[in-house]
Amino acid sequence: MKKGIVFCLSILLLSALVFLSPVGAQEDQVLLNFYYPVGVAGPLASVVDEMVNEFNETHPNITVQPVYSGDYDDTMQRVQTGVMGGNPPDIAVVEISEAHSLLQMNATIPLTEFIEQEEGDFLEPFFDAFLANGNLYGEQWTIPFQRSTPVFYYNKDHFAEKADELLAAGLDPERAPDTWDELVAYAEVLTDREANRWGLIIPGGWNDWIFEAFAYQNNGQLINREGTEAYFTDEAVLEAAQFWYDLAHKYEVMPKEVRTWAGSPTDFAGEAASMLYNSTGALPPILNTANFEVGVAFMPQNKTYGAAVGGGDFHVFKDIPEANQAAAWEFIKFMTNPENAASWSVESGYVAVREDAYEVPVLAEHVENQPARAVARDQLEYAYPKMSAVGYQQIRQILTDILDEVMEGDMEAETAMNDAQNRIQAILDRH
Amino acid sequence: MKIKLAKIKEKMGHLLGHAILMFIALIAIVPLIWALSTSIQPSHAVFGQGIGLIPTEFRFENYLDILNAAPFGTYLINTIIVVTFTVIMQLLVIIPAAYAFAKLEFFGRDVLFFIFIAQMLLPLQAIVVPNYDVMRVLGLINTRTAMVLPFIASGYGTFLIRQQFKQIPESLIESARIDGAGHFTILKHVMIPLSKPIITAFSLISIVIHWNDYFWPLIITETPSVRTLAIGLGMFVQQESGADWTLLMAGTMFIVMPLLIFFIFNQRIFIESLMIKSGMKE
Repeated sequence: MKKGIVFCLSILLLSALVFLSPVGAQEDQVLLNFYYPVGVAGPLASVVDEMVNEFNETHPNITVQPVYSGDYDDTMQRVQTGVMGGNPPDIAVVEISEAHSLLQMNATIPLTEFIEQEEGDFLEPFFDAFLANGNLYGEQWTIPFQRSTPVFYYNKDHFAEKADELLAAGLDPERAPDTWDELVAYAEVLTDREANRWGLIIPGGWNDWIFEAFAYQNNGQLINREGTEAYFTDEAVLEAAQFWYDLAHKYEVMPKEVRTWAGSPTDFAGEAASMLYNSTGALPPILNTANFEVGVAFMPQNKTYGAAVGGGDFHVFKDIPEANQAAAWEFIKFMTNPENAASWSVESGYVAVREDAYEVPVLAEHVENQPARAVARDQLEYAYPKMSAVGYQQIRQILTDILDEVMEGDMEAETAMNDAQNRIQAILDRH
Repeated sequence: MKIKLAKIKEKMGHLLGHAILMFIALIAIVPLIWALSTSIQPSHAVFGQGIGLIPTEFRFENYLDILNAAPFGTYLINTIIVVTFTVIMQLLVIIPAAYAFAKLEFFGRDVLFFIFIAQMLLPLQAIVVPNYDVMRVLGLINTRTAMVLPFIASGYGTFLIRQQFKQIPESLIESARIDGAGHFTILKHVMIPLSKPIITAFSLISIVIHWNDYFWPLIITETPSVRTLAIGLGMFVQQESGADWTLLMAGTMFIVMPLLIFFIFNQRIFIESLMIKSGMKE
């Protein structure tokens, strides 16, 4: 009996010893917790760590502790848990559509004051399309960091292989389709049932993001900027949904089972499809794995070119000391200065967030060697903010589910969009 | 002649049985082999036409890349510490708890038991904020303790072991008590030896769950010095672009192998403990 108790106690003691964890940082220092997600392939966590180390070395009074926080959803949950649990991070990179949700939680501070204190127009070099998501209620709440848009990938070898047939159909095998109609025409020629090869893949997972691009291409919009009204039953959006349905079930140029987002670059690199919609972030893995010449182009237009931006922005949090907020601003300035924006873009495949980064030699050379890198940047001229509202994760879940059903043919486009309109508008009304 | 035929029949039966078992084993092992094979190939070789189960090109540097991308050595040690302590602490708590719920009479026992096992109904995500809050108040954020503490009082384990304990005849306990045994002696010499299979089974389940746990460690830890393997692996699963499959599989191997080796070496113990027919006599 006694022996048992002694044993238990010694185990407890031992565990207490083992679990003693190191505590860092000196007292007169500002210690910043920086949560960041990793959204694209490659050892990006160590790239971020290196950038943070450089900042810490050049800023003796500030120590930033980088905290890798999983993917975007994980990071948002981690941030929410921290905020609700009374231990918010100082800085976090959060998916851009979450700005409304963080605002509603009263978790973040606007950065306008910091921006105005800077000399000249601090925001001027940043691409407007990247600033828009963080610009709410007349204030700038975020600074862009890891940003992307969807682009259009195509297999140049397949185009060459089918050159005669493409020419016979009146299509140029040297370029990508430029319009929705051309997209169908190209895809019909390129779909090769014997080779078990699809003309086109629009992957699931983030198909809400691609769908938003289609809506923009049709002069439509899914949800207004204020996050109060949904427009899924507008003619422009309905048409886009019908077009998706037709690609899979009328023209039969797209797989009828939805491919996963992360698996689709693999499908494309493995030549299971000739054309693909995916993020610019997929460019490095595709170039690494494809055994053919990869083409990158603007997403085809209907009424206009159009894309929704994507990625993550810096947020600064509210319930932390003012000194931390000021230090956080220093850190954000450092991470987004032209040199760092340029090298981050080279390492990650993201679009650099500011125009002048493309003049920095490392990125300028990179774009010269890989002109595909410039496509997403140039497409920014036609890029719009990504839909954003309180409860975004829930909205996104509903929309991807519904789009999956449209692509798999389980639901007619019109029924699906009515459904989306009702369910998503209900969420918007609740907040 | 008849006997021979019967023998042949029996042999055929054996053969068929083995064939079926081998087929099932094959199904179980192919993904593992595939992962292994992917992990040692260059990424461009993985996605050619064909299945590519047998590598034609090799790239063992994938493993070096993994080790460079994140401190997997530290992660491994942390994972072992967290899992070991989780299981030990769980057993220390739930075995006496199960004993109390199964064999002792006290006021409110059944209500208490109901509350205790009600936690089985709550998914971790639902209690993550209160748990986080508790850890913050205790000053345990970013510690290995925080990864162990919330799981110690396992409702599932208590339920499992209590059901087993209930099966053990009262008379055995009575006779031990007549011999002057206290509760701990009864546990040690009667209850635990007779419940080894169920305790082993629970330990195995717990080891696997906590070895692979991702969400809670991700939320509660901040620095690589205390983080676990599953978080390291998470770095290679990508949302925005396609995953880097070769590295992902190399990372997967890194996570699976220690556990696999542990299981292989202890196979005999596990199987024995699970096979023991509890030969209880009144």
